[in-house]
Amino acid sequence: MSYIIEIEDLQKHYDNSGERFHALRDIDMKVRRGECVILKGISGSGKTTLLGIMAGLDHPSSGKVVVDGEAIAKLPDRHLSRFRGKHIGMIFQHYNLIENFSVRENVMVPLVPMNLDFEEVERRVRESMEVANISHKASMSAGRLSGGEKQRTAIARALASDPEIILCDEPTANLDRANSERFVEILSKLHDMGKSIVIATHDPIFDHLPFEARVVHMEDGRVVEEGRES
Amino acid sequence: MGNRTFAYFLALSLFGEKGRHISTVLLSILIVFLLSSVLFISSSIHSVIENALREEPDLVVQRVEAGRLVNLPLKWEEEILSIRGVSKVTPRIWGRYFTGVKGKSFLVIAVDFLDENSHKTLEKLIGETELKTFLDGRHMIVGYAVMEWMKSHFYKEYYNFIGRDGEIKKMKISKVLPKEDNALFADTIIMGIESAREIFGISEDEATDLILDIPNDAERDFIADKISSLHYDIRTISKKESRAAYDRMFNFKGGFFLSLFCVVLLAFVLILYQRYSQVYSREKRQIGIFRALGWSMGDVLKLKFLETLSVVTGSYIIGVSIAYIYVYILGAPLLKNIFMGNGNLDMELILPPVLDFSALSSIFLLYALPFIAAVLIPVWRISVSDPKEAML
Repeated sequence: MSYIIEIEDLQKHYDNSGERFHALRDIDMKVRRGECVILKGISGSGKTTLLGIMAGLDHPSSGKVVVDGEAIAKLPDRHLSRFRGKHIGMIFQHYNLIENFSVRENVMVPLVPMNLDFEEVERRVRESMEVANISHKASMSAGRLSGGEKQRTAIARALASDPEIILCDEPTANLDRANSERFVEILSKLHDMGKSIVIATHDPIFDHLPFEARVVHMEDGRVVEEGRES
Repeated sequence: MGNRTFAYFLALSLFGEKGRHISTVLLSILIVFLLSSVLFISSSIHSVIENALREEPDLVVQRVEAGRLVNLPLKWEEEILSIRGVSKVTPRIWGRYFTGVKGKSFLVIAVDFLDENSHKTLEKLIGETELKTFLDGRHMIVGYAVMEWMKSHFYKEYYNFIGRDGEIKKMKISKVLPKEDNALFADTIIMGIESAREIFGISEDEATDLILDIPNDAERDFIADKISSLHYDIRTISKKESRAAYDRMFNFKGGFFLSLFCVVLLAFVLILYQRYSQVYSREKRQIGIFRALGWSMGDVLKLKFLETLSVVTGSYIIGVSIAYIYVYILGAPLLKNIFMGNGNLDMELILPPVLDFSALSSIFLLYALPFIAAVLIPVWRISVSDPKEAML
């Protein structure tokens, strides 16, 4: 069995004025290639922290995190950044778009450090926008988009570098029902494309996905239950 | 990084957010313009003074009576010439001529046109073709401001001087010195020594001062001491002292520029502070997003460095170019008034173009380095911090 993410005995704690706060404890988790994992749990259960560590945005206090065969916790900044840009597509709760950039320019951001020909960059941007169904807004500045359009721009941006892993942090938290359903449709497309997907959410819309997904319940920084839903 | 993609992003950072850079660029242009204008004017004035000093006599001998400058007897000429090392002594007559009780004044300089060496300092100004005219009668060469003043008082071709004896001495204007010489010769009148004697009532056996040629530089101080010991009332002025007098005149104006520099410096510090805080307030999130999406610290620093360098270099080039046009083409209106000094006539100061590249480079470095640091330090601090926090 080929795993794209392997986490062993992961601990994450913060020290504040002599007090230690445990954000994650004893996490062991494996994500297969092409698998979709839903991290569920209430706010403060550690979902976002775990996602951040998988993305290399945060460092574990101890334990092993291997993403696509690379122990990312020990990578120096330059290599970690390159690794993140190439292998991981992030979709954030608040989209994190650059408001004064157009949709096209936002989608281009992760491609800038990749040393690609400009024609290749344009091709990838175009294709990603098509998958995310946002091509018609390519020239519009991100600040003028609706919530759903912003989300689709964020998806296109996450796909631009053609990563194997897509990490989504509360992707539907700011969307209405219709836009959340459209997000799930795009997610289904990504799953069909063979992407490995990890979603941190507490939205019930992910309880009934049109494809097979594994649900991991978290509580107080621990994995308390694992199950399979479809 | 793909060069074209990076260049595209650099252009996007520079021009995509015009509002972010526009105030910085405008203020920077103003600062560079002010500094460069002052630099251009001072370099120009310095160059004029340097040229004038090159033509100054090696030593000037005057007579002082009770602390007051008086005419000296021409018999001193022989005494001084007998000192070893002095190759030539030339008597000179000059004085300030006032046009009325509350009127303007001209500096009348008289040279002996029969003596080839005596007029060498003014050779460039006069031009050899004028010599014959001068020898023929009462002619004078006037500074540009003198001509303007005379013209405004209906003296277009000649001027009536009132001599010491109360008689009118009519002097014909045979040449006007070019505007370019206004910095030093605006209120100057050059005439033959005999005409000046008549106007000032100076007898044949007297002169205002003596100018000396001393070919050996090393001997000048020694000879000056020797001359001073000849008579108790002798005063000598060396080239070095003349330079010091010019410098004092110039340094007096330097006080004004010190104030100007302080204002400019304060404005510059405000720009730096504005840019520094702008990085934290407006660019922090953008840097966090870049970092989260695979940009290394080096990538972010490279973009911000080139962005700032472009802003700084662009502002610098525009500021210097405007300063050049303002000073050398438009003649530095308003600012040049500072350099009018004690000139009592209204005049247009013409500044010869002088580019002091070392000073221009210093302005660039003193301006660019703090500016780049004011951007790169916060960018670096944000880059090393948690991208998640930066994105908040």
